[in-house]
Amino acid sequence: MLKIKSLSKTFYQTKGEKNVLKNLSLEVKKGQVFGFLGLNGEGKTTTVKIIAGLLFADKGKITITGDNSREKIGFMSENPHFYDHLKVNETLSYVGELFGIEKEKINIKIPELLKLVGLEKSAETPTKKLSKGMRQRLSFATALINDPELLILDEPLDGLDPLGRLDFKKAILALKKQGKTIFFSTHILADVEEICDEVAILHNGKIIEQGNPKKLLGRSKKTLEEFFVEKVTQND
Amino acid sequence: MIKKYFKTIGVIALNTFRETIRDRILYSLIGFAALVIAAGLLAGSVSLGQDLRVIESFGLTAMLIFLLIITLFVGTQVVWREVERKTIYLTLTKPVTRDQFYLGKYFGICLTTATSALIMGAMFLLEIYFKAHIFSVPALFSIIWMIFEVWLLTALGLMLSTFTAPLSSAIYTFCLALIGHASTSIWQIAQKSPAALKYILDVIYYLFPNLEKFNLRNEVVYAINPPFSQVWTTVVYFIGYTALLLVLGLMAFRSDEF
Repeated sequence: MLKIKSLSKTFYQTKGEKNVLKNLSLEVKKGQVFGFLGLNGEGKTTTVKIIAGLLFADKGKITITGDNSREKIGFMSENPHFYDHLKVNETLSYVGELFGIEKEKINIKIPELLKLVGLEKSAETPTKKLSKGMRQRLSFATALINDPELLILDEPLDGLDPLGRLDFKKAILALKKQGKTIFFSTHILADVEEICDEVAILHNGKIIEQGNPKKLLGRSKKTLEEFFVEKVTQND
Repeated sequence: MIKKYFKTIGVIALNTFRETIRDRILYSLIGFAALVIAAGLLAGSVSLGQDLRVIESFGLTAMLIFLLIITLFVGTQVVWREVERKTIYLTLTKPVTRDQFYLGKYFGICLTTATSALIMGAMFLLEIYFKAHIFSVPALFSIIWMIFEVWLLTALGLMLSTFTAPLSSAIYTFCLALIGHASTSIWQIAQKSPAALKYILDVIYYLFPNLEKFNLRNEVVYAINPPFSQVWTTVVYFIGYTALLLVLGLMAFRSDEF
């Protein structure tokens, strides 16, 4: 579904060059929930932004299978921002129109999505009045408006309270049942083990470990968090 | 496919229009412009038998100044604000090309400036009607020409904002607007200048937008309808120059990273 091959990206700053991604390759299969793990500043958001078309890779290739692939992707950015002049339902309507969805269909879809993300009472609320957690929920709803086959989520758990995280987990598992492919980056590992079919650990611009979380942990009694810290320190 | 391409531009343009039109500063500017246009009645009343001419000249100049302020305020900030507030992510991560985004922003600002011009213009035409009981066709032409001028300047400001900070692009746009209105004088000076200076002034005259083409204040004051040849050459000049600025802006914007 999503194939990343030899992706490289360097940022040129006043302090010098920073090689954020070094020949990064990975594959996300159809129907998988894929957790893209890494410490802050390791290049997770850079990778996601390149997939979303906000940044250009210096080298490498990204392939998303399916016709009109851009139309079949749902994207949720880290720390989502919305237009202050729009209300919650207007924001969803705007995004729906960008996908070319008919107005009548958008109007049917909006209440469903708001219910799914727990914002049904905030439809008429201006987005500038939303809390961080509510923004995350709205961003998740915007990612689902086009009924995507592939969901790209950047730090979706960030800013969510325990209830929000539980709702998010349930939503991800429900989407997985519908056959959706989900690629999400996170540094919060507590919930990853339960919902991911596969994880990849990004460190120093490279994948240092990849596989099914249960298989990676094997018979050891380590948590994914302990495993992650061990691998990162080994590769420092 | 083409229909969908332009529909997306329309969606972005409408959203930009809604965003800018709800800005309180825009209301203040239009309100203040209305007051200044109305103040033309006072200026007219102290002139000796030239009250209508004074009202027309005063009103059109006030309109142009306020439209220029709105263009500088909105046109040079819209894309920068999207990047700064990261709202650009909401649009560019959807099946939207950078060209569609850029053009959508441009047409959205054009809608805002045209709406502002039409509000001010309606007040101005009413003022003339109130004073002389006539509907001034040259004044209507002049308002339309003014809209063309600010649309061209919007394309210029938007292009400059793709590679400079908003304040810088506002200053550059303002300076180019001044040069554009001095283009006739620049040409006249060039004709009497030594070869080297003439060459420089000729380059300035032909390279920078000639905004005097959009100035119909004399026609309004002397109640002359602009000849057809002037109308179509101005329209062609507007379309050609604006398209060139948009293409240059798009070329810069396509390689931007967010």
